[in-house]
Amino acid sequence: MGTRMIGFVFFSLRRAWQGFWRNAVMSLAATATMVLMLMLLSGFWIIQTGLSAGLEFVEQKVEVVADVDPGASLDEINALVDRVGTLPEVSSVTYVTPDEALKRFRAQLQAQGRQDLTVYLDKNPLRGSIEVKLKSARVFGSVVDVLRQDTTVVSGVKEIQKLVEQVLTVTNILRTGGLVLLGLVGLTVLFIIVNTIRLAVVARAEEIEIMRLVGASDAFIRWPFIFEGAMVGALGAAVSLGILALAGPPLGDFMYGFFRVLPLQFGSLGVQLAVLVTATGVGLGVFGSWISIRSYLIR
Amino acid sequence: MTLAPQGNPQPQLSQAASRFRGRFRPRRDPDLPPERSIVALRDVTMRYPNGRIALNDVDLEIPEGDFVFLVGPSGAGKSTLIKLLIRDEVATKGDVFVDGENLGRIGRRAVPKIRRKIGIVFQDYKLLPSKSVFENVAFALEVTGTPRRLIRPPVERVLALVGLTAQARQIPSQLSGGEQQRTAIARALVHDPRLIIADEPTGNLDPLISWEILQLLLRINELGVTVLMATHNAEVVTALRRRVVALEEGRVIRDEVGGAYHRED
Repeated sequence: MGTRMIGFVFFSLRRAWQGFWRNAVMSLAATATMVLMLMLLSGFWIIQTGLSAGLEFVEQKVEVVADVDPGASLDEINALVDRVGTLPEVSSVTYVTPDEALKRFRAQLQAQGRQDLTVYLDKNPLRGSIEVKLKSARVFGSVVDVLRQDTTVVSGVKEIQKLVEQVLTVTNILRTGGLVLLGLVGLTVLFIIVNTIRLAVVARAEEIEIMRLVGASDAFIRWPFIFEGAMVGALGAAVSLGILALAGPPLGDFMYGFFRVLPLQFGSLGVQLAVLVTATGVGLGVFGSWISIRSYLIR
Repeated sequence: MTLAPQGNPQPQLSQAASRFRGRFRPRRDPDLPPERSIVALRDVTMRYPNGRIALNDVDLEIPEGDFVFLVGPSGAGKSTLIKLLIRDEVATKGDVFVDGENLGRIGRRAVPKIRRKIGIVFQDYKLLPSKSVFENVAFALEVTGTPRRLIRPPVERVLALVGLTAQARQIPSQLSGGEQQRTAIARALVHDPRLIIADEPTGNLDPLISWEILQLLLRINELGVTVLMATHNAEVVTALRRRVVALEEGRVIRDEVGGAYHRED
């Protein structure tokens, strides 16, 4: 049994290899289609990942900012900061002193390359503020109320709930749209690849018929084609990944430039992409062969 | 009794067919166990999904070692009969036995084993154009899981039998039609089949080459292999005076030993 199994596997691999090169034009056409489709899929995957990371970043930016009354003492401010910090919806609270606010303002001016006119001021016109980062952009809980109630410290809370709702609606639409688009592209890729492999199988219908007539079992007919499909998939994936590896760094720069502030990690994205492309390529090759060969087997 | 296709008037020929059915009923002992015949059809009807009845109530026994011509016009049911024997189709009614196995009852996995007992030869040879004569014949063994070291001896033996030892390295396009058909016959023989089914094996060949192919099939028959040959070649059938089974409109209208292609009254 063991040796027969090994013999069978070698037979299938040998036939797959022969089949691939005997119909080189067809096989290479199938591989080229596979490469194009995998590139398309990877492109959409990268865009979708970038979009999703960008949206997450935008959502993280959501924070509640309370202006601090200049008359409030540091103790009162710290007490409020502590109180707000214990609320379950809050991930972090920071008190930005007027000096820090001025520093930030100056840094911002410098980053924008504008002249810093604040040096001509004799005193800091900015107020301190309490910045509350939320665990989830959607859940405000009682944060705003707690801040507002402390009228000795807080002079005003910016109405950001409505704005956040709008931002979240937009990000949700973009995220869903991206997923739907990725799904559609995935389906298209599936159909095109399955069809291409079917063509390659149909081109060898006579050979399959002869195999059937001389008494080849289903396994002997099916597995060489499955391996051949896997070969097309693996080769297509390898070529695609090669192209992506070459195109990756400039693409990364472009993405960074496009989304500007994103802390995108291209290292992990690369690994994910390699797994996605290889699994999709081999999986679709095998699936396509399986589907295409089915109709030729014993009824 | 007769099932006419919907709306079609019963053609004249079919009435003739039912008349002859009574006269030339196959010599069949109902108690004969099927294992004594290599092929046995019992009340076989084949109705395709589109409603066409390709075979209607066919009985046929072929004892081991027989040489049988299967004749009849196109569409008479010859191809369907062959498809039933290699279990490419399953009869809608009745039983088909090959070498004692009821093909309607065996599972899918047993089908390849039955096919290895049958060697099949076609009008268009069905050779793989990129493989040599040797490889085409060896292919039948390779794809049925024969270990590589056990392939060469039987291939060389059958190539010698059909007289193609010298052409073993050539590819089909370098061969004549007769040589291609002999390659196909060698491939059909390489499994040591009990039965050779030849579907119009001389259909593409000129008369002289046709005779060569027929001589080869007769020689194979002398070696103990049963041969069932479907043909339109009246000259060959009439000259040989072997058993002739005539099909028409899906029925056996004549089954006689020493018969001619056409009915002789």
